[in-house]
Amino acid sequence: MLAGGAYTAYAAPVRNVLIETLVLAVVGIVLAIAANAVSPRGLELNRDYFPSDRSQRRPNGQTNHVATASATGTNIGGPDLLIAQLSAQGLQLAETAQVTTLFRDPRFAQGLIIFVDARNDEHFQEGHIPGAYQLDHFHPERYIATVLPACQTAEQIVVYCSGGTCDDSLQTAIFLRDAGIPKERLSVYAGGLTEWTSKGLPVETGPRK
Amino acid sequence: MNNVQSSGGACHAIREYGGLFARWLVGGLFLYMGLSKALDPVGFLKLVHQYQMVNSPWLLNSIASFLPWFEAFCGLLLLAGVAVRGSALISALMLLPFTVLVLRRALGIAAAEHLPLCAVKFDCGCGTGEVFICRKVVENSFLFLLSCWLVTGPGRRLAARYSLFRQKVEVSLENRELPSQSVPKL
Repeated sequence: MLAGGAYTAYAAPVRNVLIETLVLAVVGIVLAIAANAVSPRGLELNRDYFPSDRSQRRPNGQTNHVATASATGTNIGGPDLLIAQLSAQGLQLAETAQVTTLFRDPRFAQGLIIFVDARNDEHFQEGHIPGAYQLDHFHPERYIATVLPACQTAEQIVVYCSGGTCDDSLQTAIFLRDAGIPKERLSVYAGGLTEWTSKGLPVETGPRK
Repeated sequence: MNNVQSSGGACHAIREYGGLFARWLVGGLFLYMGLSKALDPVGFLKLVHQYQMVNSPWLLNSIASFLPWFEAFCGLLLLAGVAVRGSALISALMLLPFTVLVLRRALGIAAAEHLPLCAVKFDCGCGTGEVFICRKVVENSFLFLLSCWLVTGPGRRLAARYSLFRQKVEVSLENRELPSQSVPKL
């Protein structure tokens, strides 16, 4: 008698695999929703974290993205794109020379000129413009109690982030504008901290002093 | 006949150990990449936003919030060997559109910047930082093929619960006589 050949073991119907996939998908989504809800870093689903897109959304649901971002699918040409977006939002651009002048203005020491750093805690602590307030627009509730009163009394507010392709400064400036700060007082330093440090200008580390 | 038996056994061993390797590779990468994104949802949100796939803030935030955890969940299932075929199919279904999106964006950048495609480098949102896109497409394609292979049935070794369903054992008796004592009861 010949010894046995190959067994076709554990033949699973395609239907079972599809049902299994569906069950896993449902369970996975439920777990993901729960994880986001309990995570301290979780996102708020209903919040518009990119208000700069708001003015560009057309009634038919499409977005008329400024410059070539939609064509390239990237934020290539970051500074130029930021400048175009600032213009679209009615906000002002601040160049390094202007920002430096404001930093050295006596009104800065009086709190009439303030800088707002739009980056997260880690980047802020690594280094920021001396005396800058922090406002991470992804978690504004942590900073707004301190920053908003300062902005309301200031005559000029310069918002910055890392520079280059970073658009956090734009989003934060829009947040402040929507919070009631007149847009004439707001300007965005497109070069950001990268350009600030490249000019050898002073940097403060740790929390705001 | 002994050669047939040994080659069949070797094929079976390759399939099972290869399947185990595939499970651990795909599962491990999914778990790692999923968790690295889940622990920085803001960073992932910014990357997803750059793709400009959706206009609704709610939909954008949902993708950025849930996808990393879902990815980690599938990775964990594959690692543990739970519902292997289902989780492998989900992995394949996630890899395919994501790879297409990454490639499309890379082609756009290459055209805009007049670069060769393989010189394009950016953070695609995979959880591994900036990468050369050609390499990423090749990696994803390999993972996609591994996932598809896992759907066909290998990877039972060290699987905690290979299928959510109880399986029937079928015996193929094509032109072969088997010792009567080796025929399992169905």
